Amino acid sequence: MTHTRKPDPVDAIVVGLGATGGTAAKVLSEAGMKVVGFDRGPWLRAQEHYSGDELKFINRNYLWPDPKLFPRTLRHDEESVAEPFPFSPTPQLVGGGTNHWAGWVPRPRESDFLQRSLHGDLDGANLADWPIRYEHLEPYLTKVEWEFGVSGIAGADKYEPYRSKGYPSTPLRPTRFGKRFYEACNKLGINGFPIPHAMVTNQHKGRDPFNTTSFWNQYGDPSTARSNTLTTFIPEAVATGNFELRAESFVREIKVGKDGRATGVIYIDPDGNEVEQDADIVVLSLGAIESARLMLMSKSPRFPDGLGNSSGQLGKNATFHEYVFAVGLFDQEIDDPLYGWTGNYISGGTFEFYETDEDRGHIGGCLISASQTCHPINMVFPGRPTWGQAMKDADRDYFSFAMKIGAILHDMPVESNRVDLDPTVKDAWGLPVARITHKPHANDVAMSKWQVDKNAEILRAAGARKTIPVYLQRMTGNTCHQHGTARMGTDPATTVLNEWCQSHDVDNLFVVDGAGFPSSTGVNPTLTMMANAWRACDYITQVYAKGREERIKVG
Amino acid sequence: MTLKSDWEIVGAPIDPDSDERLFFTDHGWETIEAAAARIIPTDHDPGAREARVIVFLDRYLSGTDYVFAAADGSGFLKLTDKFADAWRARIADMQQTYRDGILELDAIAEREFGKHFKALAESEQDSVLEILSGAPKPKPVTLGTTESVGTFLQGCFDEGLSFFDALCLHVRQGFYCDPVYGGNKDRMGWRTIGFPGPKSLKDTMDGTYSTTEYFVPEYDWHELVPQLKMRSGG
Repeated sequence: MTHTRKPDPVDAIVVGLGATGGTAAKVLSEAGMKVVGFDRGPWLRAQEHYSGDELKFINRNYLWPDPKLFPRTLRHDEESVAEPFPFSPTPQLVGGGTNHWAGWVPRPRESDFLQRSLHGDLDGANLADWPIRYEHLEPYLTKVEWEFGVSGIAGADKYEPYRSKGYPSTPLRPTRFGKRFYEACNKLGINGFPIPHAMVTNQHKGRDPFNTTSFWNQYGDPSTARSNTLTTFIPEAVATGNFELRAESFVREIKVGKDGRATGVIYIDPDGNEVEQDADIVVLSLGAIESARLMLMSKSPRFPDGLGNSSGQLGKNATFHEYVFAVGLFDQEIDDPLYGWTGNYISGGTFEFYETDEDRGHIGGCLISASQTCHPINMVFPGRPTWGQAMKDADRDYFSFAMKIGAILHDMPVESNRVDLDPTVKDAWGLPVARITHKPHANDVAMSKWQVDKNAEILRAAGARKTIPVYLQRMTGNTCHQHGTARMGTDPATTVLNEWCQSHDVDNLFVVDGAGFPSSTGVNPTLTMMANAWRACDYITQVYAKGREERIKVG
Repeated sequence: MTLKSDWEIVGAPIDPDSDERLFFTDHGWETIEAAAARIIPTDHDPGAREARVIVFLDRYLSGTDYVFAAADGSGFLKLTDKFADAWRARIADMQQTYRDGILELDAIAEREFGKHFKALAESEQDSVLEILSGAPKPKPVTLGTTESVGTFLQGCFDEGLSFFDALCLHVRQGFYCDPVYGGNKDRMGWRTIGFPGPKSLKDTMDGTYSTTEYFVPEYDWHELVPQLKMRSGG
């Protein structure tokens, strides 16, 4: 490995430039800090590189991590040898998952911060309260909604907690399957409403929304409609003159000084040279799997089990939000087409079943919503005939006569569900890959069954003549949501980060992605993650960098 | 080092009418074309044969020149560095899967019917595919029932698939892909199922292609979401 000359030190390094790294880059550089941001993936140009090519985006991993270069392994119990599996394949490039996401950005609920207070000790799970409450996040949820651009209608969600401001952009025109969903909800007395969406439908901060192609979920967006850190927060950070972006640069270790503080990072540049970059502060935002992996790879005599892991909790209590759903097929002899392939993936949803109802036999609940059945090659039609006349007939009869209603599983934190380093499998840089050990908690299985059956009931009320429920069998990471590998909490013996996403062990190391989430919540997590990252970065610039310290007291 | 963000655009959209073989032998081409025609058969609408799925497959299996179309469909991206290595290895594996698969199709056909696969009647070819897949030919979808399945990843990557599973997936891809990849000739796959689809990938980049007409034309949020009426006291 060649070493090149050491670049000048900076105030802060941000590793991983997706949803939360893009937020950190913006907030830190706008506050005047000199920041270098790293991403192992490319810095693509949306207008030039993105279009409606199903094969490229859905089937050939143009954005998803190439499993030969970035493998992961998965096992379901301690005794098994983990097998290579593209678990939670969040795109690793500038903009991260916001490049390809549908962009559901509902707010979390007050109960999400109080899982242990509400439910006590759930057998086999490791429930914890958050060290913050909804009110600590609310101002930042509003900031992200307005700065990033979110469409929605305030007041439409009957169960939404306090919000200090409405939305900057109105919802999309409903799809035909969305209309069916609202009608079925109204028939059943359910509060259906348009799920807030990370896109703008009007002129907003110079953006001109035109994407009505319906090539949305998992595609890159060549327009400026989608709220994506690649096209919003990253250019805003660059415009400050304080932010330098190094793409296709793979950070392999966080360096630690004799005093136990982080001194910077070692990365491999695009030409294969190993380079050291020093900084006063290191901010990790690689996603809960890769942030944990980088900390576990950053071993030193002082931190033999990985950086910031004196608690032994690093990598543990991982949660992943499996997407479970039911598909409904409609009879084209009697029904009008639903055009399940249209729209910007989502349409209506509801929080009607979100809070715990003991009568269901499990705790917690999830957001559910109606969404696209996607495009011709990959139409979401589980159990469809795989070949022959039956397949052709199925495609022809149901491509425009299907809809689905899904749930983001609010999975329970379990200590043994974790990320560690695979003992044998290496990535294309020769470094140990993340190994996922995961077995669903009984509550996860029960909750997903109940929610999917409820979805099927709504589909039948909407007129579906056949329903196909997709239940949880095992965790595959199919939502790309990752949380909980470096829990926030007040006790350094049982948590990795404090309430400011700051390492208990290493005061100048912050982890601002979903790793800090003590529980997964039942909503799509990115809005919460970005708000939380913004909150932590405000603390960095306004308190920590001025040599002060503050604590939040809750409960 | 050319970064992924700067991959060069080379070549041109694939001509679906080409009879040039870049990967398959003549025998392999004819065998796979026949098998593809059983996976998406021709009826009152075109099938895999008319949509030139075989051209799509031949180009995909020929190497790494046809992996990713340029965003605007003007040609293909020239992969570099580790990405090129990964795809080269992957395509080499898939080539072997197909070579072995063609031998297996013929071996089953010879054993059961005494002829090469491509020389069999359609019903005999179906029998061979049943044996190859280890399952009966799929039955039509029926309404009025509920059938459950387990969770799976959203993407559908072909790495590591068996020959039969890869073939089924690739035939779908060749029937429904953007025509730049050599299949879905004249967008006949899309027309078969009523998908409008863009005239070109470029049309999806600049607002030319729109699906707005398939949305709800007129709506009132207060009707769809009665909560809004209650809130405004209406």
